[in-house]
Amino acid sequence: MHVYSVITVDVEKCTGCRTCEIVCSLKNYGECNPSRARISIVRDERDGLISTIPVVCQQCAEPLCLDLCPAQAISRDPQTNAVVVDEEKCIGCRTCVQVCPYGAPFVDPRTGTSQKCDLCGGDPTCVKWCPNDALHFVPADEEGLRRRRTGATKYLELLQTQGEQR
Amino acid sequence: MTYLYAGAILWIDLTTGTTSIRSTLDYAEKFIGGRGINARIMYDTIGPDTDPLGPDNVIVFGTGPLSGTAYPGCSRADVMSKSPVTGLLGDANIGGDWAAELKYAGYDHVVLTGRSEHPVYLRIRNDLVELRDAGELWGQTTYETRRLIQEELDDPEAKVLSIGPAGENLVSFATIHGSVGNAAARTGMGAVLGSKNVKALVVRGTKGIAVADPEAFLEACKAAHDQVKGADYYEEVHTIGVTNAEYAYVLSGIEAGGDGHEGLDFDPEGKTDYNAFWNKHGYKRTGCMGCPVHCMENYNVPGVGATVISCELYTQLTWEVQNADMLLWYALIRQCQEMGIDNTSMALTIQWLMELHALGIIDANLTDGIAMEWGSKEAITAIMDRTIANEGFGAVLARGMKATAEYFDARVPEERRGGRSTYWYAMQVNNNPMYGINPRLTSMSLSYAIGRRSDCIQDLDMHQFDSVTAPVYPGWSEEDRAHAVEHERELAYELTGKERAGDPDTTEGKADIVHDMGIQTGIADMAGSCKWHTKWLFLYLMPEHYADALSAGLGRTVTPEDVEQASLRVRNVERAIEVKMGRRRENDTIPEKEFSKPVSRGHMKGKHGLSREDLERMKDEYYTLRGWDLRTGVPRHQTLVDCGLKDIADDLAELGLGLEPFELDGGGTVWSAGEEEPVPSAHQRPRPGT
Repeated sequence: MHVYSVITVDVEKCTGCRTCEIVCSLKNYGECNPSRARISIVRDERDGLISTIPVVCQQCAEPLCLDLCPAQAISRDPQTNAVVVDEEKCIGCRTCVQVCPYGAPFVDPRTGTSQKCDLCGGDPTCVKWCPNDALHFVPADEEGLRRRRTGATKYLELLQTQGEQR
Repeated sequence: MTYLYAGAILWIDLTTGTTSIRSTLDYAEKFIGGRGINARIMYDTIGPDTDPLGPDNVIVFGTGPLSGTAYPGCSRADVMSKSPVTGLLGDANIGGDWAAELKYAGYDHVVLTGRSEHPVYLRIRNDLVELRDAGELWGQTTYETRRLIQEELDDPEAKVLSIGPAGENLVSFATIHGSVGNAAARTGMGAVLGSKNVKALVVRGTKGIAVADPEAFLEACKAAHDQVKGADYYEEVHTIGVTNAEYAYVLSGIEAGGDGHEGLDFDPEGKTDYNAFWNKHGYKRTGCMGCPVHCMENYNVPGVGATVISCELYTQLTWEVQNADMLLWYALIRQCQEMGIDNTSMALTIQWLMELHALGIIDANLTDGIAMEWGSKEAITAIMDRTIANEGFGAVLARGMKATAEYFDARVPEERRGGRSTYWYAMQVNNNPMYGINPRLTSMSLSYAIGRRSDCIQDLDMHQFDSVTAPVYPGWSEEDRAHAVEHERELAYELTGKERAGDPDTTEGKADIVHDMGIQTGIADMAGSCKWHTKWLFLYLMPEHYADALSAGLGRTVTPEDVEQASLRVRNVERAIEVKMGRRRENDTIPEKEFSKPVSRGHMKGKHGLSREDLERMKDEYYTLRGWDLRTGVPRHQTLVDCGLKDIADDLAELGLGLEPFELDGGGTVWSAGEEEPVPSAHQRPRPGT
């Protein structure tokens, strides 16, 4: 069975530098323009406390965008498993934008079509450029294991701290 | 098609509310961008008669061609105006998220002239440019201003630069604050905005920055990213910022030096260990747009709140004023950020007051009944509050050190102040409170003296810096420390060809190093990226990296020599501005009391120190490298002509400046009797025409 890969986000490591946004737009459109990036950093600094959360298409197993697209413009790439838009067929109706729980796709006024992450054909640019190790491109069945290891490590640290305090 | 640049300089006359656009490309080839183009605009608009807080002052915000691109640290905007602190050229540089957004909105620079009748904020959204009423925002902190504006515009992505109450109150050293932790802090740019009734500059952009050759540009940017991330120092600064370094600075006496700290180790228990504070209260690392370093610390302290701290801030409201209460320090920093006042100026001013008090020169009667005892929480907080409010004794302090000294001198009998002005005791260069960095070290003193905004920070000798702090660098093994010292001495020798260039106890080679550092940081400043990525913080982006990225991005060849020459050119523009405002060789100095005294504290106690003659010798060499007249410090006519600034050369000539013959009567130099002529360093590229 061919195991495809997915982009995972380590939110704690993201510093909000937006390098991912810049290189995504540069690769796809030849210009530096975060508002046209298919990965997006949602940043807040209320009262001085900074949070930066990367939002990227989750390439859902049951994508609402694909199911509900009235023009059947969205399909699954058999190689990468990415959910991709056929810009020839897209009518720019924004159904995909409205139904996505993450707000991942957007309709670019310049093209009039839906723009979403297509994993750069299987070699995502943002992952290669993230300077802070917040993005990874991992086989889909490994993702769960990595999370468990991260979680277990944190639990272990907590136990050790408590142990020291005693 | 305009590549890398947005192409537009936005001019706004606040008096009439009119806007106009000029082309960046008229300036781009000679001045690159950022600080470079800012300087040219400044030369053309401000002068000796400009009132820094008057409507005739001009303030310019400049990004560079690399701002907002994939180049590392591409987040910087340079802010320039006439300084209410020094009366000379004011300049401050800010990171965060504003500069990139201005590019995305379609502008490289914003120029504000005149004065608005009532409080406004500038709002830019792509082609939309408007001045909006800031009545409700006036009086708000910088944090609140950002939040309120984003709410008002219903745009959480709007990027904001704002002043706080200190700028509104025209405190001379008020700041402009950006995203949390980022400020255009020094030389009073916040007061200039306050005097123009401008509360904030808000920008949002969705246009792109076009790139001539995207693939080659990505490659060049990747090479720069790899250089930064592969540098030896990257690992440390990426994980704990410069907390270690700052602690080493105070332990070594390179910071918080001076007579007030003579022999003092006021924190034997190590309460001010910055690393310990980070371990306890650190929330996450943060940094500016496009930066792989994220050198700053986001803290969250229960009962006080969250803020971002980095660099010098650690040492100033602690060791400089002998306060070991870290929670107090933290609250003060947050207050400085929220209220928009320069932490450095405030701390060094308070230090001066404490020293005068300790010497018995002033007493509480002169400072609103508050005794300026070393480390006094009551004194520090009262002075901060009153200065921000421009009230009580704070109204005197708000006008700067010289005005405060005049106030004291009129009230303190001469005998009580040792027959001297109280100004004599102030750690200032041209009235700009100095950083805590100790001027008793050879190249540090030169950096201060020739500093283009009258402080040392632009032109630091990091070889000397590292070699004097490495012996006490926290967390390093003895072997690593010894290696660091040796390494820096080797680098200094490599750069200058002078064997003792890395030795703090001689002036040899210091002018070369300081001159070189000025070139390197100038390149970053013009490009709109962060100077910390150059050799300034040991990350070693070189002119080649900038040239490659600019070439690929612009679609025309830019060589390393081009960017270096531009950096030299820009420095001459800045110098010409200051010369027209009256700056001369005698203003390039450190406080007289600092000469011929050793470092007073730390492992260097009793060592180093320099004489007046030492500084003057270094200035001779530095001016020679710059092509400035040795007697006056004015750029020579030929120097300006050779670097393509004939109009400026002729302006100065009309004032009778820069025309003196190079040879001095009787040979030798101005200050060294009978010693050899200053020799241009071996590494220096030949100046055109010589």
